Amino acid sequence: MFSVKVEEVIRHTENIATIFFNCRLRSYPGQFIMLNIFGYEEIPLSMSSSNSVTVKAVGETTRALVNIPVGTLVGIKGPMGTPFTPTNGKALLIAGGIGVAPLFYLHDYLVKSGTDVHVLFGARTSEELIWTDRFKNLEIATDDGSAGYHGSVVDLVKEKDLEEFAKIYCCGPEPMLKALYRHFDEMDVLPKVEMSLEKYMRCGIGLCGSCVLDNGLRVCVEGPVFNAAKLDW
Amino acid sequence: MLEVELCGLKLKNPMILASGILGSHISSLNKIAENAGAVVAKSVGVEAREGYKNPVVINYSHGMINAVGLASPGARKFAEELANFSKAAPLIVSLYASKPKEFASLTSYFPMADAFELNLSCPHARNVGLAVGSDPELVKEIVIEVKRATSKPVFAKLSPNVRDVVEIGKAAEEGGADGVVAINTVKGMSIDIFSKKPILSNISGGVSGEAIKPIAVKCVWDLYEELEIPIIGAGGVTTWKDVIEFMLAGATAVQIGSALFYSYRIFYSLKESLIAYTRWTGEKLSELIGAAHRR
Repeated sequence: MFSVKVEEVIRHTENIATIFFNCRLRSYPGQFIMLNIFGYEEIPLSMSSSNSVTVKAVGETTRALVNIPVGTLVGIKGPMGTPFTPTNGKALLIAGGIGVAPLFYLHDYLVKSGTDVHVLFGARTSEELIWTDRFKNLEIATDDGSAGYHGSVVDLVKEKDLEEFAKIYCCGPEPMLKALYRHFDEMDVLPKVEMSLEKYMRCGIGLCGSCVLDNGLRVCVEGPVFNAAKLDW
Repeated sequence: MLEVELCGLKLKNPMILASGILGSHISSLNKIAENAGAVVAKSVGVEAREGYKNPVVINYSHGMINAVGLASPGARKFAEELANFSKAAPLIVSLYASKPKEFASLTSYFPMADAFELNLSCPHARNVGLAVGSDPELVKEIVIEVKRATSKPVFAKLSPNVRDVVEIGKAAEEGGADGVVAINTVKGMSIDIFSKKPILSNISGGVSGEAIKPIAVKCVWDLYEELEIPIIGAGGVTTWKDVIEFMLAGATAVQIGSALFYSYRIFYSLKESLIAYTRWTGEKLSELIGAAHRR
């Protein structure tokens, strides 16, 4: 573990913030860090750029992190885990809620390398659609219809022709990912789909076994990004 | 060439997955059992136990320090998880408790177990582990009770953080233990120099990995001199040479834990290396047990 300082905090909403560190971490989109908020807990978080995490307050530790003062020291283990694999062809990014975090990083990475990127971003309400101006080519969906397409992001995906995309990248709550998996399975495109999964972790380095999936793979090492064809949903 | 017999258990090779490493889910145990000689599940107690809050594991340049705090879903729930074991290798269920009768009562939950390991050595949990494993009288009593409750082999896992590991090993042997496992982690801690605070939420924990290998080899050596029952060596086994070293010191088998950090496929890799070694020397691995003691 090493320590870095919080350099800047962007407060997107009451519950969601992006925390920037004072140094860039050698990393790839999709990788995560174990972030130790001293006095609270150490939690796994996907990176939203090479020097930031984007987090939603859901418990005591994430609440403290969303409210963290600039200048605070935090501990970092990582970056770790298997990242997304880039593509030369057209890319489709599908985000659900706070699952958008690693896709910010991936989006910037792909755009920088000249990839044609299309983003679908879904949330319950328009309030949870954070930082949308960071995406170049975006379509949004809200469950309550408060912005964009009225319905789930999964329904929006079903209207798309998937043939034109060389790679499809997804991150969001597990029910959303499972629904997407079923759709992609039906469309027979699983091998070109990558999904970033979330699981409770203790060690983050492949030892404790807390984040093992039913297929025996570890979210912290073989994941968090898995090729969908390797998942046995 | 790699086969060893351990208290009636036939192991396809002498490498056993150590307790607490990737042993909470049946999917990872099944995966490792494909290549390991045997697997030990994560220590389980009668009741569910939360464990400490993160951070609970640190990796540093020579190994790991952990204080997970014996997190467990409890015996009943864990038995349901283990019911789907593939049986690709013997399954050893590790038990923790604070009293002899409690230890004994745990065995009945696990009909799928091929053997039991008694956790007498976890250095970072209150009232269990090392707290009961540092008293030779209590260790003997625990082993007697467990042996009364089960006909399966029972191994006592020992801590190096006692006055004399041989004294505890002897007590386990007198109680009727079928074997001893040496060693569990060594007490240790780490402090972050920027935040100026201990890193682990429990402040201190147990050190494992390459750092503790010489300590473990010495414990195995000493136990081999004094005990009649088989010894399972543990502590920093990372390469195939470490397996040989522990066997020469007197171990019938070894446990591997922290080295899983380097590879999920380490049992496969080391197995292949050991096959190459035995082809070169023409000796069975079982012939090496305690060979360094012979004058």
